[in-house]
Amino acid sequence: MIEVWHLIIGNPVLNVLIALSHLLSGEFGLAIIALTIIVRLISWPLTKRQLNSTKALQDMQPKIQELQKKYDKNKQKLQQEMMKLYKEAGVNPLGCLWPMLVQFPIWIALYQSIMRALATTPENLLDLAHRLYSWDIVNQAIPLNSHFLWLDLGQPDPYLILAIIVGGTMWVQQKMTQAPAVDPRQASTSRMMLLMMPLMFGFLTLMFPSGLALYWAVSNIIGIITQYFVTGGWGYLKLGSPFSSTPVKGK
Amino acid sequence: MPLILVSCISGGTQSARGWPGTTVHDGIIYAGSTDGRVVAINSSTENLEWSYSMAPVTAPSSGLSCGQTSAPTAIYGTPLVDRDIVYIGTYSGQVLALNMLARSQNLTFPQQRYGEWNWDCPIDNAKSNAIVADLLLSEDAIYVSSSNGRVYSLDKEFGDLNWESKILDEKHRKLWTSPVIQGNTLYVSTYDGHIYALSLEMGELLDWYFESEAGFASSPVIDEDTIFLGSFDRYLYAVKIGSDLPMWKFPEEKQAGNWFWASPIVNEGIVYAGCLDGRVHAIEAKTGGKLWEFDAGSAIVSSPVLMDNLLIVTDESGTVYVFDLSAELEDEAAPLKTISIGADVRSSFCAQEGLVYIRGEDNWIYVVDIDRGTVSWKVSLTIEE
Repeated sequence: MIEVWHLIIGNPVLNVLIALSHLLSGEFGLAIIALTIIVRLISWPLTKRQLNSTKALQDMQPKIQELQKKYDKNKQKLQQEMMKLYKEAGVNPLGCLWPMLVQFPIWIALYQSIMRALATTPENLLDLAHRLYSWDIVNQAIPLNSHFLWLDLGQPDPYLILAIIVGGTMWVQQKMTQAPAVDPRQASTSRMMLLMMPLMFGFLTLMFPSGLALYWAVSNIIGIITQYFVTGGWGYLKLGSPFSSTPVKGK
Repeated sequence: MPLILVSCISGGTQSARGWPGTTVHDGIIYAGSTDGRVVAINSSTENLEWSYSMAPVTAPSSGLSCGQTSAPTAIYGTPLVDRDIVYIGTYSGQVLALNMLARSQNLTFPQQRYGEWNWDCPIDNAKSNAIVADLLLSEDAIYVSSSNGRVYSLDKEFGDLNWESKILDEKHRKLWTSPVIQGNTLYVSTYDGHIYALSLEMGELLDWYFESEAGFASSPVIDEDTIFLGSFDRYLYAVKIGSDLPMWKFPEEKQAGNWFWASPIVNEGIVYAGCLDGRVHAIEAKTGGKLWEFDAGSAIVSSPVLMDNLLIVTDESGTVYVFDLSAELEDEAAPLKTISIGADVRSSFCAQEGLVYIRGEDNWIYVVDIDRGTVSWKVSLTIEE
């Protein structure tokens, strides 16, 4: 099973990453950025679906908030009414999750490729030999230069710079999509989640090889840009709810 | 979240276990073990003579584990014996000289400088200065390739630094290949595709160097005035010292199926080279023409060894192939004997008086009797708690 995974996804991604490194003057950091962009472009149809679902949910927020106020004491009724609302609007609340799940194998392959390609120990370098294609462009790039800017891509960033970038961009991306909740308990949970994920990823950046953190940072930045253009703005990043000034229409 | 989970499962940490080689001197087998020890085993009694444990390496944790992690010091090189001293380099960046007499006489150990002594020369304890390649001994010095990109010359008696070279591979820093001496010159190959010539006395770069598009994977070997070494572009190179162009590249037409990772050996005008694609090649040293080849089916990670008229090759799956070089070997050669030790092999091995001494990846030493075609005896290098 593992070999099938490497044959179909892992090794192709690994070899493309190394080939890109050779094309980009042996800069593995640039190769990680380029491959992240390429993967984002390939998965664009899925991303677009995900963002459209997110936007549809954002557009429905005034109605959802109204329902939340109306059925504050009756959770069961609230759920029923919300499901009815989703059905009428033709929106699946889980619609934004499926495209994300489909993309996971690609992200995993990308992560594994970064780790394998850097071959920081002799064992890793020997293992890499069995995974490379016989392309000249790949063989001439080996072994890779793990230094990029101030980073050794095989080691965690010794400074806080990358952790701040990863955490910061993740917070922005989340803030753009996270609708303010009316229920105080829900609002508190949302606020905590909004802080927890960026903090956690910032913490992970201090422990994982910076090549992976670079991928997280680039991926977040691309996410913010695509979200900005697809959803038509900064979403909930602006202070307060973008819908607060919109009169709520009751049914 | 799944990404984080997968990150933890599939290789957030990349540990170095080592693949120390074996050597035999005066009836004693010397080897490193994967639990960070140098071990001496009496080949007659099959008993442990002595073992020296190195301090474990502590490093900041990587991945999701917290705090510091401790791991045995990894060894990739083969112990070298000169007079009564065993020399070895470690992945923690140290060169050790162990006095084997002191060990066998149970004297206090280690002692420094005088009397029954040993020394360890900390080039640097940082992982970035790890020693992966075999050490090289000359009459009065030890030459060390370090993962900081420099070659060091140390006084053989006391470990004092004679000289250090400039950084030879700015791009990768890793010098994981051993240097080789000819005359008053030290030749070093690098992962950025250079062969450099250094003065043996002072370590300064000499005028001649060779440059290739791809990096060199194996340590260089010199025969007469030609350097033979494997490259990451899947060719074996023959480079005449002083020339800017390779004398030949092997295979002549299509590249091999993988890297020539192990150093080749040269004997009577023939180069014997193992490839990670599982093939063993016999090549005419002057022309690069193929004499014969054999497909072992599993990667050849260790360099071949000669014993009298026998060429001994091990593959990664632990099969030992013995070729009779006095026989007429055809295009597709057949081994005289094939013996399986039942464990993977990545380390350098040695052969002496009809016996082959191999350290398996299971951390056992296997002694193979070539005449009988079997494993004569084996001993575990792992200390049982």
